[in-house]
Amino acid sequence: MIADEQSLSRLMAAAQTGDRQAYGALLAEARRWLQRYLARKVPPGQIDDLVQEVLVSLHAKRASYDPARPFLPWLAAIARYRWVDHLRRTYRREEVELGDHDAIQESDADAVMARISLDRLFMSLPRAQAEAIELVKIEGHSIAEAAARCNQSEPLVKVNIHRGLKKLAALIEKAD
Amino acid sequence: MAKDSNTLIDALVADLAPVRPLRGWDGALRVALAAALTLAVVLGSFGLAAPVRAGTMSAMFLLANGLLLLLGLAAGASTILQASPRVGNRHDGPRWAMSMAAVFPFATLVLLALHRTEAAHLIAADTAWHCLAVSLVASLLIGGVLLAWLRRGAPVSPAAAGLHLGVAATALGTAIYGLSCPADSLYHLGIWHALPVIAGALAGRCFIPRLLRW
Repeated sequence: MIADEQSLSRLMAAAQTGDRQAYGALLAEARRWLQRYLARKVPPGQIDDLVQEVLVSLHAKRASYDPARPFLPWLAAIARYRWVDHLRRTYRREEVELGDHDAIQESDADAVMARISLDRLFMSLPRAQAEAIELVKIEGHSIAEAAARCNQSEPLVKVNIHRGLKKLAALIEKAD
Repeated sequence: MAKDSNTLIDALVADLAPVRPLRGWDGALRVALAAALTLAVVLGSFGLAAPVRAGTMSAMFLLANGLLLLLGLAAGASTILQASPRVGNRHDGPRWAMSMAAVFPFATLVLLALHRTEAAHLIAADTAWHCLAVSLVASLLIGGVLLAWLRRGAPVSPAAAGLHLGVAATALGTAIYGLSCPADSLYHLGIWHALPVIAGALAGRCFIPRLLRW
């Protein structure tokens, strides 16, 4: 069970004052929340790396959290930024396709909302761009395979990935 | 990356030091101080323009500088807020402010096209290049303060943050210099007091994002 928004905000505010116990608890909760938030948005073998990258960013940018505001929308913005950056950087052909067995099965309301939140970001893209990113950057197919599956030429798949990632980067804070 | 996230969390906890949270009002105060200092230097160097001293400013002077000031405030506020990201934040204000402020140079260009004889005179004016240069210099301190603020924060859209920073700094810098500028015709204000903002927008969009990525 992940702590509620108020508790997380309180822990983060305490961490900003240097309270290590609160910070340890917050990072553990943030890790669990991020594992759900990013599930199925990167190949399963990369989730831990990405979660750790977000935790490092949380640490480096902890001053940018305003304790008067909710914590999770701030963490989600950091996670989205790192996620888009991760999609830009990584492409591992050897990763297996995502399957339901890889997803974390918890179904708390906040986890559902978190998934919807990333899905909504993805839904802001034109279908062809979303499909190209999904196939190549998330599921790990080659450009040629993606081109065959989505009936686009290989150059078009590349263009769609490039444009889609650029658009995602501009939509990090988008909520609806 | 650490092999397991428990090790990483332990390391991050061990590295924890108190930080001062970024607050919007703190950023606004810093920008206000930078603007006040810039104003003091500009007025100390060039003095108040005669029409401003006499209280006989033209309508164009009030409109142009009022628009620049509002544009600078809107873009400045957006820049400050972008240091503290949050899903749900919107930064549409500067876009509308830029559109409104663009009416001024656009109207000037239309008038220039209709009265072409003015064009050569306008380009040749000595004060014009002076205005452009001084306005850009007057933007530097404000731009530097905004850049330092953003680098302390976590801007998640470096391109937008850079654009807004460039517009905010040059719009405020130009509005400040506008108090000293002796020329107050539509042609002069619509071209030469718009160019610094256009240059700031381009520079902010092209060069600032690489300084903001994290």
